[in-house]
Amino acid sequence: MKLEAGWVPVALSASIEPGTSAGAVVEGSEIVVWRDNSGNAHVWEDRCPHRGMRLSFGFVRGDHIACLYHGWQYDIAGQCRYIPAHPSLEVPQTIKVPTYSAKERYGIIWATTAGEVSLPDIEVATGVTPVRSLYVERGADDVFAALTKAGTGDLIGNVGLLQAGDDRLLLAVQVVSPEKTAVHVLILGSPAVNAGAKQKHYAQWAEGLRFDLEQMAEVA
Amino acid sequence: MVEITLYNYEMDEGSYRVRLLLSMLGLAHKTVAVDMFPGKEESKPAMLALNPLGTMPVLTDGDLVLHGTEAILAYLAKAYDPARCWLPEEAASFGLTTMWLHFSATALAPAVAARLQSLFDTPSDEAVLQASARKAFRIMDDHMTLRHFDGFEWFVGDGPTLADLTLFPSFALSRDYGVGHDDYPALRRWLRRFRTIDGFRTMPGIPDYH
Repeated sequence: MKLEAGWVPVALSASIEPGTSAGAVVEGSEIVVWRDNSGNAHVWEDRCPHRGMRLSFGFVRGDHIACLYHGWQYDIAGQCRYIPAHPSLEVPQTIKVPTYSAKERYGIIWATTAGEVSLPDIEVATGVTPVRSLYVERGADDVFAALTKAGTGDLIGNVGLLQAGDDRLLLAVQVVSPEKTAVHVLILGSPAVNAGAKQKHYAQWAEGLRFDLEQMAEVA
Repeated sequence: MVEITLYNYEMDEGSYRVRLLLSMLGLAHKTVAVDMFPGKEESKPAMLALNPLGTMPVLTDGDLVLHGTEAILAYLAKAYDPARCWLPEEAASFGLTTMWLHFSATALAPAVAARLQSLFDTPSDEAVLQASARKAFRIMDDHMTLRHFDGFEWFVGDGPTLADLTLFPSFALSRDYGVGHDDYPALRRWLRRFRTIDGFRTMPGIPDYH
């Protein structure tokens, strides 16, 4: 799913700590996912308007993200607020990074450029426990096929639920490129119950899934 | 007075590992600049007299002459870290720490080569090196993912060791040769932890966030 088609899972909430940024790719589009020091997540085009440097290489200061190249700082609306080489300059309104809608739900940071779209409704009254983001060198069709074969039902768009013994896993799929797919893996239920051994167990399960998928690529 | 001397090239990853440990141990030392690119001084007679292999870095401490990054790190930890944090005494932790030192010398060798290829156009197959570097980073990321669930934020034990120190530069410098950090959330987290260690210093390619 492309960013303009609906909500795309781009990272586990737990993977983006306050005051940090990370790069991600959705169907070839480079994005920066960052969290300000107040804890709010933002998803933008990953490009500083100055020289085109990836903003995900930069650093977060308070509620600004700064470009690594020349330190241009942008506020949470993507508006450039400070240019170190011209400290007294009132920065023109036109220097702005394209921003996307971002939302955090189910322990996942979602992003979209679509106006009116809704997230799938998943019952998470008892909370969710993050496991890991799995990056697989395989196309999305193969990944969806493997998830279905593993018993994942209720695939709604890019989200599926998998009953694994007494546990239920939430699997959210991000198409990176035609040859690469990310699967964000979480356990439905509170970290008070699932933290530690269960997270480890399903992280290893996910490694196995990745191995099987990539093995298939080699023999094909 | 006996003095530690590091034969150093600023852009060399192995030299940086040793600079990091010297700094984190707070050890006074002298550095001698060796021009690897384009001078190839490391493979000329003056340096070959110290290290016949012609690799960098080289460290001397009094009469002792050492080459091989991992050997230098292990020596410095043994000689100058009485608390035994960097190279743990306890057998299992010692074994694991040296396992990762071995990993950095072997599995990360393609990462080092990929960077040199990218910066200095040394002959090699870029795609093959990148794939090997990615494979090594994935092993590290899987390891740190599981470590986190066990309640630990370092490669071995509950504090930084030579394992972390020797692995840090290859990943921190990976963008030099076109391998991003997107796919390694657990390593991104670890990278930030590592940067907060007392005595941490940067090198070209590892930015100071100012």
